Amino acid sequence: MSMEDYDFLFKIVLIGNAGVGKTCLVRRFTQGLFPPGQGATIGVDFMIKTVEINGEKVKLQIWDTAGQERFRSITQSYYRSANALILTYDITCEESFRCLPEWLREIEQYASNKVITVLVGNKIDLAERREVSQQRAEEFSEAQDMYYLETSAKESDNVEKLFLDLACRLIREARQNTLVNSVSSPLPGEGKSINYLTCCNFN
Amino acid sequence: MADLSSPQKLLGAPPPPEGVGGGRCSEISTELIRSLTELQELEAVYERLCGEEKVVERELDALLEQQNSIESKMVALHRMGPNLQLIEGDAKQLAGMITFTCSLAENVSSKVRQLDLAKNRLYQAIQRADDILDLKFCMDGVQTALRNEDYEQAAAHIHRYLCLDKSVIELSRQGKEGSMIDANLKLLQEAEQRLKTIVTEKFAIATKEGDLPQVERFFKIFPLLGLHEDGLSKFSEYLCKQVASKAEENLLLVLETDMSDRRAAIIFADTLTLLFEGIARIVETHQPIVETYYGPGKLYTLIKYLQVECDRQVEKVVNKFIKQRNYHQQFRHVQSNLRNSTTEKIEPRELDPILTEVTLMNARSELYLSFLRKRISSDFEVGDSMASEEVKQEHQKYLDKLLNNCLLSCTMQELIGLYITMEEYFMRETVNKAVALDTYEKGQLTSSMVDDVFYIVKKCIGRALSSSSIDCLCAMINLATTELESDFRDVLCNKLRMGFPATTLQDIQRGVTSAVNIMHSSLQQGKFDTKGIESTDEAKLSFLVTLNNVEICSENISTLKKTLESDCTKLFSQGIGGEQAQAKFDSCLSDLAAVSSKFKDLLQEGLTELNNTAIKPQVQPWINTFLSVSHNIEEEEFNDYEANDPWVQQFILNLEQQMAEFKAGLSPVIYDNLTSLMTSFVAVELERVVLKSTFNRLGGLQFDKELRSLIAYLTTVTTWTIRDKFARLSQMATILNLERVTEILDYWGANSGPLTWRLTPAEVRQVLALRIDFRNEDIKRLRL
Repeated sequence: MSMEDYDFLFKIVLIGNAGVGKTCLVRRFTQGLFPPGQGATIGVDFMIKTVEINGEKVKLQIWDTAGQERFRSITQSYYRSANALILTYDITCEESFRCLPEWLREIEQYASNKVITVLVGNKIDLAERREVSQQRAEEFSEAQDMYYLETSAKESDNVEKLFLDLACRLIREARQNTLVNSVSSPLPGEGKSINYLTCCNFN
Repeated sequence: MADLSSPQKLLGAPPPPEGVGGGRCSEISTELIRSLTELQELEAVYERLCGEEKVVERELDALLEQQNSIESKMVALHRMGPNLQLIEGDAKQLAGMITFTCSLAENVSSKVRQLDLAKNRLYQAIQRADDILDLKFCMDGVQTALRNEDYEQAAAHIHRYLCLDKSVIELSRQGKEGSMIDANLKLLQEAEQRLKTIVTEKFAIATKEGDLPQVERFFKIFPLLGLHEDGLSKFSEYLCKQVASKAEENLLLVLETDMSDRRAAIIFADTLTLLFEGIARIVETHQPIVETYYGPGKLYTLIKYLQVECDRQVEKVVNKFIKQRNYHQQFRHVQSNLRNSTTEKIEPRELDPILTEVTLMNARSELYLSFLRKRISSDFEVGDSMASEEVKQEHQKYLDKLLNNCLLSCTMQELIGLYITMEEYFMRETVNKAVALDTYEKGQLTSSMVDDVFYIVKKCIGRALSSSSIDCLCAMINLATTELESDFRDVLCNKLRMGFPATTLQDIQRGVTSAVNIMHSSLQQGKFDTKGIESTDEAKLSFLVTLNNVEICSENISTLKKTLESDCTKLFSQGIGGEQAQAKFDSCLSDLAAVSSKFKDLLQEGLTELNNTAIKPQVQPWINTFLSVSHNIEEEEFNDYEANDPWVQQFILNLEQQMAEFKAGLSPVIYDNLTSLMTSFVAVELERVVLKSTFNRLGGLQFDKELRSLIAYLTTVTTWTIRDKFARLSQMATILNLERVTEILDYWGANSGPLTWRLTPAEVRQVLALRIDFRNEDIKRLRL
């Protein structure tokens, strides 16, 4: 397989407080693992997964950032080139939810204005310890014009959906951009509806 | 014998149809006969009975024939009788013998078993005797050794005792000599305790006195007494003290260092280096002892203890660094500068030394940590050669945890975090300065800022690279990408947006006062900012220089990428930054390289702008003059044109004059691009005016000559092949040069030969129609 063997390449950056499960989400999606006792991420980690959506190869470059404050200047430098940001919090940790506005300010400051942001509430397997209700999170994400999804990296709930839906949305967005840029050239597969795993149904 | 039982077989006769032998009655019973009354029936029965009688008789005869043979067989049987009795007797005897042998064998084997057991017991007894002797020997030995203060010997005895089988000792105590052994054991245990106390005490004294040979002597004794952990922890305590005192000394030296000292600017990095080197030397020196006396896999424990002290000392040094260098204040200042530009700006040059020092500090830490990683890994490897995969992973986890979570790592990560922000500020501010101080020297194609900006970017990324932290390097590459792609590109873009001042024909001639030109151009364009541009000439120069700058930027980015790639191979070969390091670096670097093509796009935009504002408006009127030159000429005029060229020579001269300015001011690549745009424009425009003119035979010849001169000239000024661009015009000239309309057929269709017509049949007719001497009917009649 050649290096350029893909139709789309997207950069996805995961951000959010330390310990909310960013690394676990990435590991679950890219390797199908849930490594317990995961140490804190240092700097940034980098994973690649190529998925096929409607016969098109989509290469996802996933940057898993450290949540700890001292790595902030490193992680911020990755925002600008990101096509999508996955802002993650822990539904069993009020604090991680309360920090979201701060993260949004960072996104506003450093990310490209075309970036797609998805809000993810992780650890729904620990429902009995839930501190942030789904309704509250939904209201927040709606107010911020973000997609919202609840996941469990441990039980593998919604993890595939999160990344694949995002990939679908990124493809759609990329198509629109090329349409704007070159109206004359018809795109392959245009007019075909994308329907993968009830694709693109964020909420 | 078998023969006797089956007489029929002997006879070879088939069995009689009505039963065998005489035991059977006839199937016709007496009662049946009595009941019969009819003669006919009686006769029938009688007949049947007669038949039966005959059969019976035959059977009897057969049986009688057998009598002889049966009798002879009976005789033989009678003879066999005594033999059978003999055989029975023999068989009974054999059975008796077998039973005897069997019991004998069992008897023997049980004896062997007993012997075996006895042998084992004997061995055990010998072992126990040995152990008891050893025990006694140890006991005596310990006493003597202790008396002689030969602690090694004493420890060896205790070690021997500890290695004895505890159950044997227990059993021995229950034996006859139990009381004696008990006493011995008690003495030994006492000796063990005493030795432990003595060794601990002596070790403490030795460490206090800093008596290294004694320290090492007792350090070697601990494992013999089964006190591995104790030994390692006490020994490391001693080593830590040494590290601490040396570090404190060094830190004091720092405070006394003269600011004019050659290494004053990196004194904290030097201090850290001394600390790390000291610890590394300790590990190097004592690793063999630990390995030999404590076994493999114990180095981790030693280093774990040492790292605690290292962390303590690093904290002190870093705190001093932060305080003395105002690291945090500088960072906060930079941060507020980055957020809003109103506060007084910190001079980037002032940050230079501190940034260098921080990266050096981090590089030293990385080197030290990778040293520890290598040492511990290989020590674990030796110890775990037989271990399961889980144990190996467990050990790897310990190692990662130790090195990733130690205070040294965290402190350095914090320093680097702040460093990146400050380096970003340094880069941005210095780039801004380079842009502000941009100067252009006559004779140069580019201005100073391009070289300056790339020097700065390279310096900043290079410094990040010198920190040996891949994440730090990647972050700086990302920030450099942002700086070049948005901020710096915007600067160049804005310069190009000012446009190339449009000039009228007269402005080409030098000497016209610039002031007029500015006003003229500003009025005409209305869009350009006159501030900072003193004259049209300067505006032109600025535009051309910027074009060159853009091109060089695109090239420099590619060069930068290549340089960084080769610089980093060394870092990766050392295995710094984990397995993903290369992938992360490559990804960030490819983003940087992509900026190169964005500059290429900008160059193309600029060229189009230049073509539109400077070339097209000039060239168009020159081409339009073609219309004022008649191509409907007689011999006389044709000859006159030969001597006094009516159009093309002047046109070429004008083009040459105009392009000369660009040739001098633009890099060869851009100039080439521009000429290409210019020639395309000339070809299109010339075609337009030709189609507006009329020709006769000589006029066509004249045009052919003009076109040839033009193409010959253009070929000399460009490296592109222009034949292609002028293909349509050349074909038009061919048509205009025909003798008769039908002559076209010599070149058309099957006769075209190597010529590929770029004109459609309709266009051919249109061009033919330009010849006033060609009749329309002839043209219409053509079959193309």
